[in-house]
Amino acid sequence: MAQGLAARIYTIIPENNRLERIWLLAKTDFKIQYSSSALGVIWAFVYPLMRILIYYVVFSFVFAKDIPNYGFYIFSGIMIWMYFQEATKGGLKVIRSKRYLLENIRFNKLDVYYSSILTNLIGFLVNISVFLAMMIITGLPITWKLIYYPIFIINLMMLCLGISLILSTINVYLKDISQLWELVLLLMFWINPIFFAKQKIFNMFPALLYANPLAGIIINSRDVIMYGKDPDWFLVGYNYVLAGSILAIGVWSFNKFFHKAIEKI
Amino acid sequence: MSEDNVVIRLENVSKTFTIRDKVSGNLLKKSWAFASGGNKRRIEAVKNINLEVKKGEFLGIVGANGCGKSTLIHLMTGVYKPDKGGTASIDGTYIRLSLGLGFNGQLTARENIYLNGSVMGVKISELNKNFRKIIEFAELQKFVNTKLKYFSRGMRARLAFAVAVHAEADIILMDEFFGGVGDERFKARSDEIFQKAFVNGRTIVHVSHNMRTIKQYADRVVLLHEGECRGIGSPDEILDLYRETIKVRRLSMREE
Repeated sequence: MAQGLAARIYTIIPENNRLERIWLLAKTDFKIQYSSSALGVIWAFVYPLMRILIYYVVFSFVFAKDIPNYGFYIFSGIMIWMYFQEATKGGLKVIRSKRYLLENIRFNKLDVYYSSILTNLIGFLVNISVFLAMMIITGLPITWKLIYYPIFIINLMMLCLGISLILSTINVYLKDISQLWELVLLLMFWINPIFFAKQKIFNMFPALLYANPLAGIIINSRDVIMYGKDPDWFLVGYNYVLAGSILAIGVWSFNKFFHKAIEKI
Repeated sequence: MSEDNVVIRLENVSKTFTIRDKVSGNLLKKSWAFASGGNKRRIEAVKNINLEVKKGEFLGIVGANGCGKSTLIHLMTGVYKPDKGGTASIDGTYIRLSLGLGFNGQLTARENIYLNGSVMGVKISELNKNFRKIIEFAELQKFVNTKLKYFSRGMRARLAFAVAVHAEADIILMDEFFGGVGDERFKARSDEIFQKAFVNGRTIVHVSHNMRTIKQYADRVVLLHEGECRGIGSPDEILDLYRETIKVRRLSMREE
């Protein structure tokens, strides 16, 4: 019993070059994403900005600007959303895209998932710094409540890791999961308070605030970074429990079904 | 490391794949096949293998195409899980070398070296030290910053082999790795490595159609035939047996 526990702790604490390896995998993937384009890494800045600009223009017409600082409102929500979307889609593909390593070399197979989550973190951090720079330029106040922001980044990473692992497992038995997941993403995009004021959604469907693991993260992170408010601590706790449970299911299912996953590819 | 120096151990290892064939015909036929599982087929790729590979040993695996050699390699590395009742274990770091796989075409030779080395457990500081040796061994000095997609098969093979050798994998598993690539000079150099590998106590599992290498270096050879182990023994013994099975097979095919 004690030995088993010790062994388990040992796998959590990085041995020799594990952290170095995860970071190298993440960095390399980030490079690959942009290496085939002429502008290269500049796209990591340009793409999200253009996307936000388009949404802003379109939605300003539709919603007659009933939310103050609507551009920042969208930006703060969409950078969480883009991370969620890219990380889960990347996680779903990771066995296929890292097959050349998984099949040939002995290492902890979870590392490719950690690195996939980290790859998208690089882009996310770029977005956050652009967001903060724009706040400074336009004269919106940044308060010390910003120090709470990493709480939501970690929550989001746990959630994405868990979902990636579960989706990879489902993928073993259901090849169409990537198409289905696209549909789920489309639905989630519209039921989260990314464009709408949160009251609009949750007054109508109060259960959605708790049924959907992303809503609390978006609301709380926005309060912290944009409005300088304290987060809703109950919601923070709830979201951590939810993300933790999803991650636990993910790790369990991955350990159980990983062999089948690589055989079927 | 276990006491008896066994680094790869297979006990009663079998591997069965269940596959679905494509059904031709109308939608009704297709859905019926899907629901009933009528198009399912079980393929026994490897049947009841018992095998131990000792540290420092050079094991050859021979057999006709489709006899389960590659599946056996995957079972050894633990990438495939054996059917119920069998156990497979491997002790130490390993790298599997096969053609066409192993590298990312979008990355340069330099990036691939660092990535593969790091995944194998080598620290980046150590890779910095060995980098030039790896490039020189692979004779790719002019292509350090070239993407792998522009490499020929022979160049890829040289690079993979150089990484495997310098990252000091305990066990190197080669799956028809030299099949048709590598000129005489490269073959001579790999021969050198095969010899040195014994000194360093490295274990090599070599699936090959190249009888010369097997004959020259293998300590023991396994003959696979339709997933079954037909014999384990010295190269001379097994290669004779192999030639016979091929002959028998040709004859039986002619009769059909």
